[in-house]
Amino acid sequence: MAVNRRIFVSGTAATLAAPALIPSHAFGQDKVIRFTMAQDFTRIYTFVTSEYSQGQRDYFTLINERGGVNGHRIQADVADHANDLPRAIEAYERGKREGAVLCDPLSTPVARALVPRALEDKINLITAFSGRSDAADGSAFPYVLPLSINYWTQAGLIVDHFAKVAGGSLRGKKIVFVHIDTPFGKEPLPILQVLAQRQGFELVTFPYTPPGNDQAAIWPQVRRARPDFVMFWGAGVGQTVAMTEAIRNGLPMDRVSSSVWMSESDMEVVGKAAAKGVMKVEPCASGRDPKPIKDILAEVVAKGKGAGPEAKIGTAYYNYGVQMASLMVEGVRKAFEKSPNGPITGAWLNEGLRSISNFTAEGMLPPTTVTKEDHQGGGQGRISQWDGTKFVPITGWFTANQDVVWGEVKKYSEEFRRTGK
Amino acid sequence: MDYILIAELAVSGLFVGLMYALVSLGIVLIYKTSGLVNLAQGAMAMTGGYVTWAIAAGLGAPMWIAIMAALVVMFGAGMMVERLALRRMIGQPVIMTIMLTLGIEIMLRGLMPGVFGAAVKRLDIGIPQAPLFLGELLINRATLIGGVISLGLIVLSLAFFNSRYGVVMRAVADDQTASWSVGIRVERAIAVAWGLGAVMATSAGILWGATQGVDWSLSLLLVKALAIAILGGLDSIPGVLLAGLIVGVAESLATGIIDPLVGGGTRDIVASVIILVTLLLKPHGLFGREHIERV
Repeated sequence: MAVNRRIFVSGTAATLAAPALIPSHAFGQDKVIRFTMAQDFTRIYTFVTSEYSQGQRDYFTLINERGGVNGHRIQADVADHANDLPRAIEAYERGKREGAVLCDPLSTPVARALVPRALEDKINLITAFSGRSDAADGSAFPYVLPLSINYWTQAGLIVDHFAKVAGGSLRGKKIVFVHIDTPFGKEPLPILQVLAQRQGFELVTFPYTPPGNDQAAIWPQVRRARPDFVMFWGAGVGQTVAMTEAIRNGLPMDRVSSSVWMSESDMEVVGKAAAKGVMKVEPCASGRDPKPIKDILAEVVAKGKGAGPEAKIGTAYYNYGVQMASLMVEGVRKAFEKSPNGPITGAWLNEGLRSISNFTAEGMLPPTTVTKEDHQGGGQGRISQWDGTKFVPITGWFTANQDVVWGEVKKYSEEFRRTGK
Repeated sequence: MDYILIAELAVSGLFVGLMYALVSLGIVLIYKTSGLVNLAQGAMAMTGGYVTWAIAAGLGAPMWIAIMAALVVMFGAGMMVERLALRRMIGQPVIMTIMLTLGIEIMLRGLMPGVFGAAVKRLDIGIPQAPLFLGELLINRATLIGGVISLGLIVLSLAFFNSRYGVVMRAVADDQTASWSVGIRVERAIAVAWGLGAVMATSAGILWGATQGVDWSLSLLLVKALAIAILGGLDSIPGVLLAGLIVGVAESLATGIIDPLVGGGTRDIVASVIILVTLLLKPHGLFGREHIERV
């Protein structure tokens, strides 16, 4: 047969178009499991994303260097969605087209926007430290998986720790809650209000306007309120300014705590010595002592295959990335245990992720058990304190006030079931 | 009513207002000479902060050398903006030139975090963080020192405009054609104004960077600076001083008095309300000159 121009053009077009048309399970034959890691590298979540992503990529490299999971490589498709919904949705759809079985956007507005799609497409949407807190209810959100302590649990842990510091009871005490005036900043309020009523402490709240670069008029009010404890809730510049103003107002830093959003880099901005005593919630161990971090240094970084600056390895946010990557990989392992022959789909991985049991990543994480009901993984974290050079855990892994947290989770997840919102 | 708190907020507002006024001063300097409103002033303050940090942290220079070097670099950068961008706009509608400054603002806001990294940077100029008490009244050392330095620079600017070269710049502001006709190098005067505007922006960027850290959010100072410039009068340095104090105190007191009543968020509204009310009631501001054209 003679090859004329029409046949040549048609053939070329078909060849180019073919990969896009191949269904997702075909990638199983290439022994690749694809994750979409479109995250915000350039706009709002810049304070965390580069370190978090570096931790994830280094961990995936570690697993792939060891031969992958069941002979399958993990392929993380990293992109920048810049916290922009159209870009994030485009990246999600591209991932879906290319056979991704998991998406980790690390952004509350993006995660919220992707929930209906993920539920419909059966693609696992990871919403660690972001998204909706009520996604802890796996029965309402089967494909939305925080896999870590949500903001309600974090607030519950801090209040519990304050009670221990106060000698066992917060009755008659005053807790001031300083927060960014956004849905994220207001998120712990329902839990704190219930706990204030139950435990008999006074809750005083001070919202500040985003992004929180100017809080000069907020902290004199906090000091004049004469609090017993202070909880501050923000991210990025809002956190460093909050700490700086707390110090400038002479508040005792060992009575001040925040959520998971505090890192070694923040301490450099505030002043390492001045910030001594401030507390935070830790969802996993920080530093370079955990076994997975040592393995990354030996098997990835030493071979020149690290994904970013070596100095960032072991920082809080880097380790959060390793934490999430290790849970994803554990989900893949569990999925292979359940269905060794796949096919590799979102539903296949979902079965694995929702049967993670007592997983600690060799001591780096609190024991994490994800079930079809509990996507939070058991709700354990710990409180760490800045000693002037590093965060030092001052409690063991523990969980607290989960009855209050799950009361809120069920209230909002029921509403989602009813209204879809 | 906690009168100590009110007094504390008012004092804090005075110093913060002076620091806002320093950003605004750059807008006024440029407007007084060239008749243009520089919408890139916030981003120039941010850039000044980044440049100072880069020289101090990146090159390991002592902070005072980093500050001096940054001021020189930014003076040059300000002059280059005039030379490379604005001079090409001669003959174009004024609105296009103002849009150009807005374009510079957007570009710098993306470029600086892209080049230096988006995480907040520490700029330690040696201000102690320990609280300073006058009786029960707490004074924030960072805003106290920032406010005093800002006041000094504003007074210095007033003196400059009464110097020989300041008179030249005022002549350019009054009538560029007449200035040309008597041999004044108008382009150079405008370029110097842009350089000085950048120096004021950098000074503000350093003081605010020492207070809150250096990151993109320094560029948000533009809104406060505009409110002050509009309230004080776009061509009045004393106006900037008074308006800075008004805006600073109003914001601070609104946060302490109105926020608890309405649930927060009034601080940023104050600047917007001041812009709107001033433009509606007294478009030339408190001390601005009214330009009357004969037709």
